[in-house]
Amino acid sequence: MSVHQRSQHPIYQELHDSPDFSELRRRYRSFVVPWTVAFLVWYLLYVCMSNWAGGFMNTKLVGHVNVALVFGLLQFLSTFMIAWLYARHMNRNVDPLARDLEARYEAALRGDAVKGEEPRA
Amino acid sequence: MITSVPSVVAVVLVAIATLAIGTWGLRLSRTTSDFFVASRSVRPALNASAIGGEYLSAASFLGVAGLVLVFGADMLWYPVGWTAGYLVLLVLVAAPLRRSGAYTLPDFAEARLASAKVRTTCTLMVVAIGWLYLVPQFQGAGITLESATGAPPWLGAVVVATVVLVNVLSGGMRSITFVQAFQYWLKLTALLVPAIVLVGVWLGDGRPSPDGATNDHWSLPLADGGGQGLYLTWSLIIATFLGTMGLPHVVVRFYTNPDGRAARRTTVVVLALLGAFYLLPPIYAELGRVYGERADANVLVLDLPRLMLPGTSGEMLSALVTAGAFAAFLSTSSGLSVAVAGVLTQDVFRGPRFTGVRAFRAAAVIAVVVPCVAAVAAPDLGIAKAVGLAFAVAASTFCPLLVLGIWWRGLTDVGAIAGLGTGFISSGLGVAYSLSPFTTSGWFDVLLSQPAAWSVPLAFTTMYAVSRATASRVPSHVRRFMVRLHTPEAVALDRG
Repeated sequence: MSVHQRSQHPIYQELHDSPDFSELRRRYRSFVVPWTVAFLVWYLLYVCMSNWAGGFMNTKLVGHVNVALVFGLLQFLSTFMIAWLYARHMNRNVDPLARDLEARYEAALRGDAVKGEEPRA
Repeated sequence: MITSVPSVVAVVLVAIATLAIGTWGLRLSRTTSDFFVASRSVRPALNASAIGGEYLSAASFLGVAGLVLVFGADMLWYPVGWTAGYLVLLVLVAAPLRRSGAYTLPDFAEARLASAKVRTTCTLMVVAIGWLYLVPQFQGAGITLESATGAPPWLGAVVVATVVLVNVLSGGMRSITFVQAFQYWLKLTALLVPAIVLVGVWLGDGRPSPDGATNDHWSLPLADGGGQGLYLTWSLIIATFLGTMGLPHVVVRFYTNPDGRAARRTTVVVLALLGAFYLLPPIYAELGRVYGERADANVLVLDLPRLMLPGTSGEMLSALVTAGAFAAFLSTSSGLSVAVAGVLTQDVFRGPRFTGVRAFRAAAVIAVVVPCVAAVAAPDLGIAKAVGLAFAVAASTFCPLLVLGIWWRGLTDVGAIAGLGTGFISSGLGVAYSLSPFTTSGWFDVLLSQPAAWSVPLAFTTMYAVSRATASRVPSHVRRFMVRLHTPEAVALDRG
């Protein structure tokens, strides 16, 4: 069966309208929206500080290492941290729900196979 | 002119190792699907190394150190942006794109909008962005070989193009995966070992510091102040953050993960690998300020060991760095060539005369030869700058298409084409301006040389507004398609 034919299956509409699907979307957004904002503010802060707080950014911490350099290194670390948190959030909070939806999808397809309407490829 | 035997040996060894690993991978790849996406069976650690290997191009290996040397800490935005772009890609588009079941960006566009015209537009843009990115890789190879052996610049470009072509022709993506994983570690070693030795030399010299009067200025981003510097930084951030998702060789890598969980793990490892790598070029730049007054900024990384350590040990370290640089050109060019050849195969080399693997091979030849000729003919813009422009074009075209296509039901085919066209033309103006002999100054120059800050919003707005105006053309399958895109991978819906 082609992708297109199977996409016509009514299970798609049911999944789309089910509360679990909304919950899935909500859990995803609950991570992505606040963290995207935090991440942009954090990068912007670096640019703004560089432009308007040169004195502070040029404060020497150790030898030639100034605040600006440490700030730059922290940008790498924060990028890595957010990616790690994202992976953890998806594994813990989103994937289990997705497996429930999968079970329902499989069951719906099997039901059809019994009726002989849409055998699985 | 420097003729360095160790550097020549290093280049030859990298080329042979690349071909050997590629051939070994060949035995594992058999079908067209293997050629494109390595059968979706690559483990996260290997895949992450491969992504790192492919992503760290000549711009990262040579360009960043040179830019930081000349322009100071402002230029650290390039590596920061290249790393963060990966995060944006992971969170906003990687998973839905994988779930769409499409192999390439044009596949996605066609599936989402049910329009062959959008597909053709995307194909043209993948090829344009890929070539724009390939040209500086080949030019970088030219100057590297020139610096090491005094060979004419075209020779390096031809050597890299030939090795890439042989490898792509013989193995496709699967062998490319092994080659690139190897090349990430080669590149890291090639920068790390000389960096450790050179820092040791610097300490042994009693830690001389560069001329104190300019140092504060150099180590402080945006020290010049003023609106233009701020605009340029902003524009660079937008181009790198949003452009990564539109690079054809980056997106295709996400298909080689077996599932979404593996794709996320891969990305976390990739970010660690990229972060570790990007710590090194600034060290070269700082040392270059002390020892490298005579060095050409474009090849600072290659010349620094020689300048700091006269004699055999310096030559050996320079040879190691040269090997790493060649690994950078080879890996990025291989990934880009596979991606460009992939879309050409599907959209250009069709018909009875071209079938399966044969079409792919014809496409690969075109994908490599055209940018190689362009690299020899075109003026040298500086590697990082040219790559920066490729990011700007990607951010102005595929970023709006992917973000709106994945997250907004209202996108229409007409809107997509209008937005892609607007973004392409506006960012293309920047490319044309940078390549042309015509120069100007003031804001006009600033806006054209770094177009992303205005071209990306313009493309988004056009795509949105035109889609709104043509709302009756929203494809009928959009709800089903959205369920497919947004149901996590654990759900094995049909994904083609």
